[in-house]
Amino acid sequence: MLDSACSSKLCMLLMAAVLSACVSVRPEDKEHLAEPAMTFGDEGMSEQHEQHVLDNREGSTGGGDTRGGGCGCN
Amino acid sequence: MQLTRLCVLALLLLFAAVNSARAQVALTAGSSLFREQGGPLHMDVVMPSVNAAVDVAEPLQLRVGWMADIVSGASVAVVDAPADRVDAITTATVSDTRHQLSGGLTLRDTQGSVDVTYHHAFENDYRSDNFAVTARTDLRDRNTGFELGYARAFDRVCDVAGTFEPVEKPRLDSSKGCFSDDKTRSTRELAIHTLQAGITHVWTPVFTTRLGVLAQLLHGFQVNPYRAVRIGKTAAQEHAPTDRARYALSASGRYWLVPLSAALGLEARVYRDSWGISSFSGELSYDQKLFGDVRLRLRLRYYAQGRAAFYSDDYMLAPKGRYFTGDRELSAMRSALFGVAFRWQLPTDESGRLLGFLSSFALVLKGDLLRSFFDEFHYDRAEVPNTLAQLLSLELRATL
Repeated sequence: MLDSACSSKLCMLLMAAVLSACVSVRPEDKEHLAEPAMTFGDEGMSEQHEQHVLDNREGSTGGGDTRGGGCGCN
Repeated sequence: MQLTRLCVLALLLLFAAVNSARAQVALTAGSSLFREQGGPLHMDVVMPSVNAAVDVAEPLQLRVGWMADIVSGASVAVVDAPADRVDAITTATVSDTRHQLSGGLTLRDTQGSVDVTYHHAFENDYRSDNFAVTARTDLRDRNTGFELGYARAFDRVCDVAGTFEPVEKPRLDSSKGCFSDDKTRSTRELAIHTLQAGITHVWTPVFTTRLGVLAQLLHGFQVNPYRAVRIGKTAAQEHAPTDRARYALSASGRYWLVPLSAALGLEARVYRDSWGISSFSGELSYDQKLFGDVRLRLRLRYYAQGRAAFYSDDYMLAPKGRYFTGDRELSAMRSALFGVAFRWQLPTDESGRLLGFLSSFALVLKGDLLRSFFDEFHYDRAEVPNTLAQLLSLELRATL
């Protein structure tokens, strides 16, 4: 069980996260987000081949294939 | 014949699309080589692939692709057959080529996009047809993105014909006669439903995250028909439940380190399924922008999983109910991966072209080293010998 002080800190952290999510990053501030390294799922064919190998070499699969992120320029 | 017909159809579609006005073509070609050493249990897989995407008109993009797995090596035919070393284990030669053809289209506007994709894969002993639909949308000045996808696969697996008690069923000795009129062969079906969703969010000009979930239901034949397990005085084809539900949740973040011109990435994933396997994987990546448009990416990944509820290292001494498997990927295992990748984006001239006809060209060279640890799996008394694998990839991307 969490004590009240710990619960308060957790609530504050969650509220901070939610409030910061409401802050909108403007298009002109997305220079770094436009870097290919900041885009999820943009690793290409070689990454698909690696995922194919891991799917066949491990007992679990899936969950990390969502694309997106980056600057949202396209 | 089947491959030729589909290739011709794909090329005709592509040709028609390229000839339409305003067409922009993105081509990706490359190959990967997977090599796993281990005495008699070596395995080599060559994976060439070619993909093309054509922007036919403003909202519509057409995609076609081909990928192959050219496999050669050896695997264990009878797991737990008495042997004190792997050299004495009965092994089966594996040699097959799997082709996967894909086609799809994307419709997009300023608010989002819809992808429809079809894959057809075939090899001597396996056939698969997969339909997938994915929808994406961006909200709040494109700071938040949602993605929802559903895929349905219709798979068919070659097996021995006839009705057997599981403990008496023989393994498939070869793919000869599969998907033909051969009376000694039969076809088992496997249905796969996959539902996937994801949210990406931009928190600050240098920090972005992704949350992804997956639920997958499998119904049908889910064992390797070539593999037998020693369960007494004799061996029988491995036997697993026909239903499996899988769930995965992943969270990842990328942070841009402005003074270093580099991206730091962190990803964590948890997984659980109805066969009793739970797993965790964590990945740390560092992507450094070097001189010009050359990037270096370093990755470390760690993976750990528990065993399936019906897995046993020795079904003669410790049976686990009605099922039995010789699949080492259903035992408790761990793996560690170290990866290096270089990406070189060639600079364009003043008119934004390369060699007069390309709008972009990139080269990716990637190498991975994968080490697996099987703490609970043995071939009778022998340790798993093939625990070290390498994956090398070369990829070329061009836009016309």
